[in-house]
Amino acid sequence: MRKNETRTRYLVNFIAVVLLFVLSLVMSNAGGDTLKLKVVPSIWQCCYLIIMAASLNLVLGFLGQLSLGHCGFMAVGAYTAALLSLAFQRAGFYDEKSGPAFLLVLLLSTLVAGILAALMGLLVGIPALRLKGDYLAIITLGFGMIIVNVINNLPFCGQQGLGQGSASSALYATGLGFSNDEKVQYLWVAVLVVILCMTAMLLFVRSKYGRAIRAIRDNEIAASTSGINVSYYKVLTFTISAFFAGVTGALYSCCNAALATTSFAFTNGSILNSVFIVVMVVVGGMGSMTGSVIAAVTLFLLNYTIKNGAWVSALPAFLQNVFTYPMLVYSIVLIIVILFRPRGIMGSREFALCDVPKWPGRIKAWLTSRSGEKEASSHE
Amino acid sequence: MKKKLLSLLLALCLAFSLAACGSSDSTSGTSDSDTSTATDAEASVAAEEDSTSGAVDGTIMLGMIGPMTGSLAVYGTHVANGVNLAIDQISAAGGVTVGDATYGLAVESKDDQGDSTEFLNAMNALISDGIELVIGSATSGCTSSITSVSNSEGVVLVTPSGTADALTTEMDYVFRTCFKDSFQGELAAQYAADEGYTKVGIVYCSADTYSAGLRDAFAAAAEELGLEIVAEESVATMTEVDYTNQFTKMVEAEAELVFVPFYYDVTGPYLVPQARSVGFDGILLGADGVDNTETTIPDGADMSVYNDFLFVNHYSTELATSDISISFVESYEEVYGETPNNFDALGYDAVLVLKQAIESCGAFDADSVQAALADTSVVYEVSTGTFSFDDTGTPIKTGVLMGYSYTEGDDAVTKIAVTTLSLD
Repeated sequence: MRKNETRTRYLVNFIAVVLLFVLSLVMSNAGGDTLKLKVVPSIWQCCYLIIMAASLNLVLGFLGQLSLGHCGFMAVGAYTAALLSLAFQRAGFYDEKSGPAFLLVLLLSTLVAGILAALMGLLVGIPALRLKGDYLAIITLGFGMIIVNVINNLPFCGQQGLGQGSASSALYATGLGFSNDEKVQYLWVAVLVVILCMTAMLLFVRSKYGRAIRAIRDNEIAASTSGINVSYYKVLTFTISAFFAGVTGALYSCCNAALATTSFAFTNGSILNSVFIVVMVVVGGMGSMTGSVIAAVTLFLLNYTIKNGAWVSALPAFLQNVFTYPMLVYSIVLIIVILFRPRGIMGSREFALCDVPKWPGRIKAWLTSRSGEKEASSHE
Repeated sequence: MKKKLLSLLLALCLAFSLAACGSSDSTSGTSDSDTSTATDAEASVAAEEDSTSGAVDGTIMLGMIGPMTGSLAVYGTHVANGVNLAIDQISAAGGVTVGDATYGLAVESKDDQGDSTEFLNAMNALISDGIELVIGSATSGCTSSITSVSNSEGVVLVTPSGTADALTTEMDYVFRTCFKDSFQGELAAQYAADEGYTKVGIVYCSADTYSAGLRDAFAAAAEELGLEIVAEESVATMTEVDYTNQFTKMVEAEAELVFVPFYYDVTGPYLVPQARSVGFDGILLGADGVDNTETTIPDGADMSVYNDFLFVNHYSTELATSDISISFVESYEEVYGETPNNFDALGYDAVLVLKQAIESCGAFDADSVQAALADTSVVYEVSTGTFSFDDTGTPIKTGVLMGYSYTEGDDAVTKIAVTTLSLD
């Protein structure tokens, strides 16, 4: 019975994912200006934010360690992928951005981006994960800043290369950078990468490794007395998380066509920075992969529609003033979520299609338990 | 539960009060999305007025993207002021003549927060609204991420103040109304040589398109002019808050003049006071990003440190001589109650250049306007001077040298225009 149920669940999810992928293929071949100019670029941005948030969730939610330099790994991946693709193009491996040769370069640069970021993760992780709590946060924060400065001062990527206008146009013309048309054409790549990465991460947290790192999160001493090699699992998780951040970097350089290290900083004006990724994980629920997906998409849509949507101008003037400063809106969202769902939107639950029919019952139970609490407190 | 609601209420109060402060700021600068709707309204009012005389046949929508919020907000809001002023004036004067018909002008403005991804999103949104003529962005970093999109989508992009050389390297859809960094760097180096300085230093940010580009141009020109670069130091970011190490090195190397290509948000509070505090008393020479430094000088700061702080700029109200620039300054002061700076003037010029191109080709689709702008023989007479485009879409024009001067009597710094600069 139990085994059968699990099998149906996997089957339903599998079908849903295949449908999603087919939808992206259909969109790749569809036309239309709104699709090309608004929908597809948004999906690309969602894609990299989703993997970013989910991969940080491995460290923050499942391992229980605060990392504040996650965008540093993304920067490593982005610059690696961009430079590698340019090198291949200059070597004459591919001329235009289509055909099997280009797809091979795309695959290769994405993988190498991930692997190099994972190596960085290993390098940082080995000394850093011997520390706990705040100290780890400080080390990762330092790493994020160091990597940005290193990239800035490497002659072949910061100073004379991608940082300046000419070479970022080169990335656009000949490297990985996609124009709007190519973003539509290669939409399936982004969706496929998200599907593969999310599947890999979900399988990881469901495996014995996942159980081990959750044991470490809940009680490190108890875990180590039960025979779990704490340092090994910590470094492993950190490295895997860095790998996926590197892959995200490759997606980012496809999507944005111009790399500037300010995009990977600790904080900046946009929603892609190390702090905001932490916010996404917290809002979505630490320890819920699907929660990270929901939070990444929600916060992206919020940011995007504040800037480009029509609903803001329909609001009364005093409300519009708040939306002139989007950062205020994000902080209000964060405060609301923390006040009413302290463990994030999803808590540590996962979203599952098979559970949707059970939702009304669950919500009812949640409401009655809340009113019960209220009565209990009023009796006091 | 009550506690939760109370704290939520307090959080909302905080946010609204901040937003209220922000809005009172922005009324003095007239920025934000409000302005665009206001201008829309004004434009349509103007259109109605004219339609009574039967003249206006429609409205040409321009797009404008700039940093309206964030650390570089002054740039975006001032460009917006200039653009809105130009549009109001054109509408009041009867609109744009396209062939036999007359059109009104309106602008849809968007905020990029100084971030390239946001700029890309805003650009795509404008294109999907059917806008083919875009003014933006104020900084080189943002603009460089969008030039290729503007070329591949066939949308005319006029950047008012993106000075990086690489923004427009051939005659395509990207134009600008300012000079480029290499020219600006050369002007700075030539000023140093003309004034007889021989030992110069450079403090810059190697990570930034603008700063590193200026440094390259200045260093190359300095070498050519026989200036000795005695020290060169880089900082990590354009928002660095500590420059004491760099300037200690400058003092040790005995530099007489230090070139500082930074933006106004650091020069006022950090760079200049720190340079003086470690004993550097020579000339500090910046570029156009330094304009507006007077707005970031902290209260109670020692004003005398800002003496001998000079910068190359596009434009000066004091050195303006042509009718159009005098009338621009007068009308700007009338509308906004303050003296315009170069971002106002360059935004204003961007609209005038587009208007002239639209009128000369008799159409307002991107391709016709691009073709009209690409004609390098056309002379544009605008508020920052008279120029024509070179074969990359960059104006051939002159610069001015401005600076801050300290007067002991009233313990204040004033912005002064020193001289007009042009290459020999």
